[in-house]
Amino acid sequence: MDQVPPVTRGRQVRSLPLPHRCNNPRNPACAHCGTVIIPSPAAIMPLEDTPSISVGSWTIESRKRPILDTPALSQWESEHLPGLGALPEMIFGGNYVRIRCDLDESKHWDIEFNALDALREVPTEDSGVRVSCASDWLRSKHRRCDGAPPQIAKQYDWTYTTRYRGTVTGCPLVADTTAELPLAMLAKPDPILFFDDMVLYEDELGDNGASMYSCKVRVMPERLLLLARFFLRVDDVLLRVQDTRLYVEFAQNRVVREWKRYEADYNEVFKRHRGGVPPHRDLRALLRDSNWVVDHLPIVERTCETIQL
Amino acid sequence: MNLDHTLELLRQGKHIPEETVYSLCLELQELLINEANVSYVDTPVTICGDIHGQLHDLLTLFEKSGGVEKTRYIFLGDFVDRGFYSLESFLLLLCYKLRYPDRITLIRGNHETRQITKVYGFYDEVLRKYGNCNVWRYCCEVFDYLSLGAIINNKIFCVHGGLSPDVDTLDAIRGIDRKQEVPHEGPMCDLLWSDPDDVETWSLSPRGAGFLFGKNEVDKFLHGNDIELIARAHQLVMEGYKEMFDGGLVTVWSAPNYCYRCGNIAAVLEIDDQLQRNYTIFEAVQPQDGVGNAIIPTKKPQMDYFL
Repeated sequence: MDQVPPVTRGRQVRSLPLPHRCNNPRNPACAHCGTVIIPSPAAIMPLEDTPSISVGSWTIESRKRPILDTPALSQWESEHLPGLGALPEMIFGGNYVRIRCDLDESKHWDIEFNALDALREVPTEDSGVRVSCASDWLRSKHRRCDGAPPQIAKQYDWTYTTRYRGTVTGCPLVADTTAELPLAMLAKPDPILFFDDMVLYEDELGDNGASMYSCKVRVMPERLLLLARFFLRVDDVLLRVQDTRLYVEFAQNRVVREWKRYEADYNEVFKRHRGGVPPHRDLRALLRDSNWVVDHLPIVERTCETIQL
Repeated sequence: MNLDHTLELLRQGKHIPEETVYSLCLELQELLINEANVSYVDTPVTICGDIHGQLHDLLTLFEKSGGVEKTRYIFLGDFVDRGFYSLESFLLLLCYKLRYPDRITLIRGNHETRQITKVYGFYDEVLRKYGNCNVWRYCCEVFDYLSLGAIINNKIFCVHGGLSPDVDTLDAIRGIDRKQEVPHEGPMCDLLWSDPDDVETWSLSPRGAGFLFGKNEVDKFLHGNDIELIARAHQLVMEGYKEMFDGGLVTVWSAPNYCYRCGNIAAVLEIDDQLQRNYTIFEAVQPQDGVGNAIIPTKKPQMDYFL
């Protein structure tokens, strides 16, 4: 098995307040018990990586696999998602992040983030969004065709926008708009015991932008934060970010889930920031970076829920 | 310019001087200007799909499929964007085309345009590698001269995207003025952009631009032009290739582990003298060599204190 990299060992600083277990020997070492958990990134065939960690009664597990193959795609198309006219080009259907709390021997609570459940919440009616050249394109067809212009055969939200905030097994979270994420606690440089970052699905929108649902999680000794982000860019048309943040305080068995929707017209954002970008930065490149975009879009909707297990 | 020397540098992913790129591109334009919109190609020939700047996988492709010294190739476009080595991949194909003009046919993909390469990586790559965009400009000039399709033994039609309701015949494609940036609509645009789908008739993409075509349109085109197969690329397929419409159309995809993270395999399609189809599949190059040196940069999950 892999040697424990000395660099990681050198970062051993803090002691752990709660017992934890690291269990994937393929991954680099944990600063505390010597066997963490930064999943191997190589996406070569055959790819599978399922690291996990337990802290107290909480277990965090993730899995990464390649995109779905054709038989699986047809099955999803016909059985699971019949309303979607076409599935995203890249579906990492075997990927997931799962956060589980074992309350006692027979009772547990968990929340999972996976592509299938995310796609189940994509609307199966027309979103009304069109690519930038759509009106020119259609006008030219009207001019050219004697008969009726071509019609859209299957209506669905081709931007794959989903309001998915994770799949909960057990008691549902309860709306609590006054609740906040404890940003001060999260800003502390606690050691990260487990980190993973993955894409659940992605589509290039026929080279008219990008639509991507991704998920990352960091587990510290006393808490964890998960960020599930849907990012949509329709070039010259629309920018949209929908962030789900899930916060768990291990010792209190308390969960906070915040969902925020940010949205703006692409060209308005472009115009507003055209002058303010340093000369060596390309604004169009920044508009492809969800981290930059989310800081420059207005929030249009927010929900917050909590649960005390 | 020493073509062999340039080829050697390219195979190693090394820097090519701007003047070399300039003269390569100029020579290529002179060669391509004389080619038809639809090139005639004889069997045996190997059809290759999207490459997307994955130079090391392109080298594997040549290695697994016989190599340019022994094999004739048709590339269905999308040489650039997404991968880290768009420039080297495209230049490698240009050099081979100059060295073996009859053995390489290059068809234009929807990424071989100024507008798309500015968004999807090639432009940024050139800026990063040269500090200016001259080399990108030279390459875009070449894009404008690439063929729109190829016809193998008058029986197999090769194109990047698919069919267009504006062109029923190969002759109609031959009549297009191709030496320009790809327009936003019209037959040239459709050939590079349209997709096959399970539809009854010509349909509009739900995105509001672009055509979808079904089995009826494919059957009509095959029958009307007395051909057997449409070979196209343009869409990612996990298995590297996918036949549709009772074998009347095939999608070939030649970028394994697309974007260095999809985990898909890649394929090329060899057509022999009896027009039999033989698929060769291949996997992505390992990101590191035997002693742990990076061959291609990997996108590791960067552990960070995100909020």
